[in-house]
Amino acid sequence: MHDRQTFVVTVRGLTKSYGATSVLKGVDFSVARGEVHALLGGNGAGKSTMIRIITGSAAKDGGEIEFRDAAGNLRAEAEGRRTVTVVHQELALLPHLTVAENIVLPRYSSGLSVFDGKRSVQQAYEALGLIDRDFAACSLHRPVGDLSLHEGQMVEIARALSSGAQLILLDEPTANLTAAETERLFSLLRRLARENGLSVVFVSHRMKEIRQIADICTIIRDGRTVVNRVATSSLSDTAIVEKMGQLAAHAPTGTVSGARRSAPDGEALTIREEGLEMMLPPGTILGVAGAPAGPESLISALVGAAQSKRWSVSFSGWPQRFSSPHQAATLGAGFITGDRSQKGVLRSLPIIDNVMASRRVTRGSRLAGGRENAECFDILQALKVKAASLWDLPDTLSGGTQQKLLLARWLGVPSRLLVLEEPTRGVDIGTKKEIYQLIRDMASSGTIIVWWSTENAELLEVCDRVVAFDTEGRCAGIIDREELSEDRLADLTGMAA
Amino acid sequence: MTEASTQQALQNGSAPLPIRQREGVIGAYRTEIAIAIAIVLLALAVGSQVPQALSWGNFANITQAGAPLMIMSLGVLLVVITGGIDLSVGSVFSLTGMVTAQAMAYGFGGVGASLIGLGVGLVFGSINGFLVTIAGLAPFVVTLITFAVAGSLAFIVTNGRSMPIGDPDFWLLNSGSLVPGMPNYILFCLVLLVTIEIFLKKMVAGRWFYAVGSSSAAAFLLGIPVKRTKFLAYVASSLLASFSGLLTISYILNAESTAGSSLMLQAIAAVVIGGASLLGGTGTAVGAALGALMITVIQNGVNLIGINSFWQGSVTGAAILIAVLIDRFSKSRRRAG
Repeated sequence: MHDRQTFVVTVRGLTKSYGATSVLKGVDFSVARGEVHALLGGNGAGKSTMIRIITGSAAKDGGEIEFRDAAGNLRAEAEGRRTVTVVHQELALLPHLTVAENIVLPRYSSGLSVFDGKRSVQQAYEALGLIDRDFAACSLHRPVGDLSLHEGQMVEIARALSSGAQLILLDEPTANLTAAETERLFSLLRRLARENGLSVVFVSHRMKEIRQIADICTIIRDGRTVVNRVATSSLSDTAIVEKMGQLAAHAPTGTVSGARRSAPDGEALTIREEGLEMMLPPGTILGVAGAPAGPESLISALVGAAQSKRWSVSFSGWPQRFSSPHQAATLGAGFITGDRSQKGVLRSLPIIDNVMASRRVTRGSRLAGGRENAECFDILQALKVKAASLWDLPDTLSGGTQQKLLLARWLGVPSRLLVLEEPTRGVDIGTKKEIYQLIRDMASSGTIIVWWSTENAELLEVCDRVVAFDTEGRCAGIIDREELSEDRLADLTGMAA
Repeated sequence: MTEASTQQALQNGSAPLPIRQREGVIGAYRTEIAIAIAIVLLALAVGSQVPQALSWGNFANITQAGAPLMIMSLGVLLVVITGGIDLSVGSVFSLTGMVTAQAMAYGFGGVGASLIGLGVGLVFGSINGFLVTIAGLAPFVVTLITFAVAGSLAFIVTNGRSMPIGDPDFWLLNSGSLVPGMPNYILFCLVLLVTIEIFLKKMVAGRWFYAVGSSSAAAFLLGIPVKRTKFLAYVASSLLASFSGLLTISYILNAESTAGSSLMLQAIAAVVIGGASLLGGTGTAVGAALGALMITVIQNGVNLIGINSFWQGSVTGAAILIAVLIDRFSKSRRRAG
């Protein structure tokens, strides 16, 4: 495409430690103009730290960073940083401001300029319209706090697109998007890269997506670059996973159904809505697919988070509808939210309180501490969470590890139903496999699992049965394991994958 | 040429399509209009008991008495929008009055003494701003400290005695007419109200106030100068409190150490009645001004009807409760003004 490559950013021998832990031990990384570049590595490999250093929100200990403009001339570091923008994994949204303001406000650098409402709406529309024109047309004046997680994600991406950046770093941008939106985003990014020389760095744990979008990849492992600028097509899936140091985890996990055949007998949970009935025997893993409207309504009914007449359950000892998540939890219906940063992690509480939170409710504990310390330690050992102390704050852990803390709340708790929203979001491939296994173990002990995922491949791998919702939030069909396929799911959910 | 690589694409890309327009002035100010209607109803209710409540003379009384509270509320609003709180405004108000009166006693003229008085606001606003942004202390704690310190200094200045105003022309600040036909206290209220409303709505720095209050972590990631914005809010709040202290002594012609002690809670009440959330990110200047007006009308009504003035607090409390409940149960989420 380009006869000579210009590297918009080049990182050499970057090092960084936090206290005694050295996170980056000499990373090399470079991005050429107009390329889509996948940045790969397990949780805690140092990807996020490197991104933070490139954008200037963390200081480097050693090594060098160099920015160049399109003609290949060196730029000053501060100036270079302004040409880089990041779409964060944890969304950086201003809930009280409108969609248009969220997209356009960061473009103003001086407080003394006049905020042009009309023009900003037009600019925001142009950016958001590239992803979803209908959504853009009707939502620019809505406060962002009213949006769903995935709509917020679109706003965040639109902001990056309209920032005039030369380099966009996307940290798992598709985690909250539906397949159709992901597809649209990808073709847009490819077009911008080809026609406008935009450089895109893409962090993802979804192998299929990496292959779909990235020409070049760099793999980081334990703070070092192990693969530097290699064509993605020249590496097999196994090779990539091996380089990331997660080969063992990637090995096929054996036949799933074998474990589940031995599931204990017991009463089936029945979920009903008008004209639809799902019987879930103990140990079933029910997948939920589709755009958020439908799954959200089902899940909030199952965990008592919202009062809705649409769904009812029948199970001995349970009311038709839970009145609150507290009632659900005490009756043995667990829930792990997909909104980790807002509704999941308790940021000001130490790890131990985060892990024990649900157990304290189900047991009705009056006192914290005591035997909890040993128990919490064991739970974290089982999940292979490396934490310096149980009394550290969760923010000292990486995003994927925080996800494990949420899972830890319900893993091993004898419960009858466990509802999971995107339990593998932000989690690397190795950890994903561990989570699948942990959930299967819970299922084989008789817990019924309801698993919402926007990643169809994941549903295929874990679920016995999938209920699919269309984009209007209606139930489009229930598919048994034997008939499951990605095409079938894409068809029913109305989202071409 | 490459600076705006994505922008070019955006411009080549989509032709403008119909975008759902934001509601007009009435829609955008629906909370404020509701408060205005409530004030009118309240005034009519008082008027049905005491007819002279609806006279021009009483209107002048209300605006005269309400002006300092309104100006102070605008300052508190700026802090509340950024997600903070300013408990020190009442003490700064009192201290400004004492310092200004004492300065006149030392021979300063009205203008010089006023500037010294405003210096009190600048100093305490900077201390608040510094401790909140640089030292990273909680706004409630910081302004509780300056509330206590400024409050005690207000006694120390004159050893607790009240202080008459020395400059015989000082009444002109409050009751003179820079614009013919309009007393200064109304002029100041209107100018400040319009300036702050336009600043919040139309200036980028004004939108930053909302952004910081909405999510200061997100605002930081977006490159918005969070600390500078908060600092400015505290300085503006203290300066406006100082200024309202000046207006008050120019009206009463006497400075007292406890003059502002009830004003801090009233100013916060006015901001809340006006539709701001104490969690930050919302509120308008027009709303805060109307909230201040409503509190003044309630106080005036309680006096005129002859209810024991000890009931004032309960009536104000009921007004806050009603305002907050209406807001809570109105359908749409509050958003930045």
